Amino acid sequence: MSLDRDKLGELYGKVGVGNQTTLGIMGNNRDISVGEIFMIYSHRDGHERVFFFRVLGLENYLRQVEDLARVAGTLMVEGDAYLSGIERNMLLSVGGRMLGYAEKIDEKWTFRSPRRLPDHLASVYRPVPGTSDEFVKEMLECQTDGEIYVGDLQVGEDTLDVPIKIPAKFLPMHVGIFGSTGAGKSNLMMVLIKSIIDNNLNAFRKPNQESTRISAFCIDPHDEFAKGVDKFGIQHVVEDMSATTRSEVIGDFYYLTTHKRATTRDIRKYAREIRILWSEIQPRDLYSIREYTAEMTSFIDSQYSAKGEDWITTILNMDEETADAANVQKGTLRAVKRRLSFLRRSLIYIESGNSILSEIFFAMETGRILVVNTSLMSDKAQFLLTTIVTRTLSDMRRALKSSGNLGDFENQGQMRLPPSFFSKVKAQARAFYGYGGVDDDTPVQDPRSLPVIQVTVEEAPSILNPELMRGQSVFKDISRQGRKFNIGLLVVSQQVSVLDNVILSQMNTEINLRLGNEREIRACIENASVNISGFENEFRVMSRGEAIVTQSYRELPLPLRIPLFDDIYEKDKHSYKDKGSKKSQEHIL
Amino acid sequence: MLDKILTEKFRRTLKMVFTDIRNQQDRRDEQEFAKDEARIKERLIDTFTTYRPDVILENDFRIAAIDGSGTDSLMTLDDIRIHLLSTSSVVVDTNTHSENLFSPIEREALENELGEQPQIDIHWHSGVRGDARKKLAETLASIYPLKDVASLTLPFFQDYTRGEISSFSDFAETEFEKHIPRLREVESLISREQLLTNPTVHEEIRKTSEYAAARRILMSDIQPKYLLLDGAMSVFMHFVRHYPSMPSGFMLRDVCALARQKNVVLCAVSKNHTIPFAHRIAGMARDAFGETAKWFCHLPSKEDPEGGLHIYEDRTYIPPMLAVPYLYSFSRDNRPSRIDFDRIWWLENIFVSGDPGTTRANEKKLFAELEFMSRDARWYGYPVPLALAHESCKLSYEDLRLAKEVCMDVRSEMGLERRSAEPLRADYDL
Repeated sequence: MSLDRDKLGELYGKVGVGNQTTLGIMGNNRDISVGEIFMIYSHRDGHERVFFFRVLGLENYLRQVEDLARVAGTLMVEGDAYLSGIERNMLLSVGGRMLGYAEKIDEKWTFRSPRRLPDHLASVYRPVPGTSDEFVKEMLECQTDGEIYVGDLQVGEDTLDVPIKIPAKFLPMHVGIFGSTGAGKSNLMMVLIKSIIDNNLNAFRKPNQESTRISAFCIDPHDEFAKGVDKFGIQHVVEDMSATTRSEVIGDFYYLTTHKRATTRDIRKYAREIRILWSEIQPRDLYSIREYTAEMTSFIDSQYSAKGEDWITTILNMDEETADAANVQKGTLRAVKRRLSFLRRSLIYIESGNSILSEIFFAMETGRILVVNTSLMSDKAQFLLTTIVTRTLSDMRRALKSSGNLGDFENQGQMRLPPSFFSKVKAQARAFYGYGGVDDDTPVQDPRSLPVIQVTVEEAPSILNPELMRGQSVFKDISRQGRKFNIGLLVVSQQVSVLDNVILSQMNTEINLRLGNEREIRACIENASVNISGFENEFRVMSRGEAIVTQSYRELPLPLRIPLFDDIYEKDKHSYKDKGSKKSQEHIL
Repeated sequence: MLDKILTEKFRRTLKMVFTDIRNQQDRRDEQEFAKDEARIKERLIDTFTTYRPDVILENDFRIAAIDGSGTDSLMTLDDIRIHLLSTSSVVVDTNTHSENLFSPIEREALENELGEQPQIDIHWHSGVRGDARKKLAETLASIYPLKDVASLTLPFFQDYTRGEISSFSDFAETEFEKHIPRLREVESLISREQLLTNPTVHEEIRKTSEYAAARRILMSDIQPKYLLLDGAMSVFMHFVRHYPSMPSGFMLRDVCALARQKNVVLCAVSKNHTIPFAHRIAGMARDAFGETAKWFCHLPSKEDPEGGLHIYEDRTYIPPMLAVPYLYSFSRDNRPSRIDFDRIWWLENIFVSGDPGTTRANEKKLFAELEFMSRDARWYGYPVPLALAHESCKLSYEDLRLAKEVCMDVRSEMGLERRSAEPLRADYDL
């Protein structure tokens, strides 16, 4: 085997000093920036390898000059001084980290952590967009392929045409998106939603490929995703589809809002109002969003076990004498009532009426995306919604996982879920979960063969903090066991340092955007699934839309640039149309 | 040892030595210098008009420079020493038209003309055996491109006798006639056989390598205006026979003659020199022309008008045989350097008999050009081509260490005993 080194890019320099983690490269006096990725061709002991190196520091170096200050002084003082042939001797001393190496084994590229060193004075290549893309894509395939496109591999200030994707099977192992205000989180969320739609569209169009469908419950705290931040939004993607495709991929609705009437006309067609019945709320939903004292939980739990799904109505209507008779202190009753009183005032959480929860369940089990406009909801209401949805979906799948056949499943479901809700969804659930039938003795499917469900937890520190996670939070279970049920959390946060260790340690994919301060940078590096120590300077110079993706299941920390949603939408919009899509694809080819 | 060095007694001994030097040498030198002072100040030292930094020369020209480096002990095998030599040739162009001043010419073009740069050579030599002279002669003959020994020796005699001898037939009835048989082989040109110590042998091989490189440049199509050597143009003479005691002396004169033939200004620059009172001469220049002045000072020989200087009357090596030395300084920060020119060339091109004004004008023109090529900020005041040649040929301690390791490896590969190549003292950790 002999690689065509021209495909690596332009010859930049030679490896000087270093070890298997950090290297010093002596290179040409070019406009190199921190964060660039170089490739080092090494041929040692019969092994041809391409090492990947990330620039973390730069220093001007003049050959033949030991005392640069003296030379600069001479140039100043002796007005007639020159530097003969100095261009040749002007070099850059580049320091950085070894990211790992690619090696072709049995005609297949593999990538390994940096456990070896490039050969003496190995040649260093700088990738050139337009030249190196294909080869880099080929070498890094095992590090970049997947279903969910996030962005393109960044090499310094440029990107290569090497799309970075997250495999769908790793979504249930939780994804973190960390970035300060203005780092590009909203755009990233829109890109992710589009990628999920693209994935589902692909699964619909190519049913023989056994692609996994992905469902996403996406909290949109600023009501930006549907309309878009700039010109285009998810609504445009939805509108581009034919009725059949839309019905298969998007369903009847994708937009959940508190006030449907306040929604623009075009989106309203695909909108539903968020309404959750009190009966669909369980005590631990509340424990997951706020701390309760032992007395309060004991009181609530006793009411729940006595009254079942009517527990909220019972507590809110309970007078002090009744409480007294039940040995409940007045203070406890008052405190619990105070805490539940927001439900009475809420437009979303209703005592009676039509709930959306069953439709959310249906959407999530059929591989769809839901954009949830929470801009008009209080924080508490938003957190409770996320909790109820997460807990309901996971309880349904937990019931499934604990069952051998549909009969078992129904028993399990009745035990775990509020009866009124379960009775509403059980017929549909049997249809999803049964393996070739709906009878009681029909064997059930493994949750891992069902669509991956991704639930967004916005402003994550409010509910994924150590205090709440110490208690009976539903997120504690999900973070540990989500992968069994094919449910993953998409944790969005401006801070890493305040998140609970349980969720951080269970998170296997991190998309690290620009961070606000040194403490967060440190926390982000400590929490990363791949060792990115030494990347501090990088975080400090990161621009909007740039990110470093770390994945526990991959060796390479991937720097990437997330494209603007508008740009990728314009590039891909032809693909949503059924007819003509072929034509335009042909045209592109 | 430190307990001896750090004592008052050691300091006293040193003081006595310095006092002795002052009493015997300095006092006499001071007296001699006093005799020269007025002549130096008024007629030998001078400044010149420098080129403007943005000057555009009517004809840009090339300057070549050669420097060498090496070690006489890359490896020692009993009494055999392996010498490692590195010789570098550099050619720069004034390039005033393209404003890329004194940039080296393309390496590929240079190597096409002169071979790989720097040239690395390895020679072995036994300093003790009876065939020491033979082996050295073989080495020198293999290095120097001019293989005909008669042609090699003739330029010296031509220059030495100012043209009286221009062919071997002219030797008849001269003091050299009886030496003709000795002038036919390189081996018999080595007349200091008894002095063939390791450093002398190494120096001879190194000089030969440098002169060989100089000859290659002169014979090439590079056609420089200047060819700069590192060091002095000294030729060690046999006291009785009156011709160079080593082949390198003949080679230098061969190169000088060839340079004249090709219209190349040959000169040798030494940063390290032993010209007495150089600092006093520099002081006089500062007083006369100011702190920042760039100046030169001719060091005349006995044959020049007014004769040689008193300060080096007893120092027979100044000026060297058939060379004209100058002291010069192009940089306020550095001590003066020495530059030697071929005397025959100097007489033809600089000196104008009976016309000191024109001679001085020629000198000024020459030094203005030399100064222009000495303005690189890295080595301000030193000719940049020589500095580049030095940078290119120098063998660092680390280079040598690696070269020695490679030596050991090669021996191992060849199945030769490794231990005999290691210094004996290593056995005792000394």
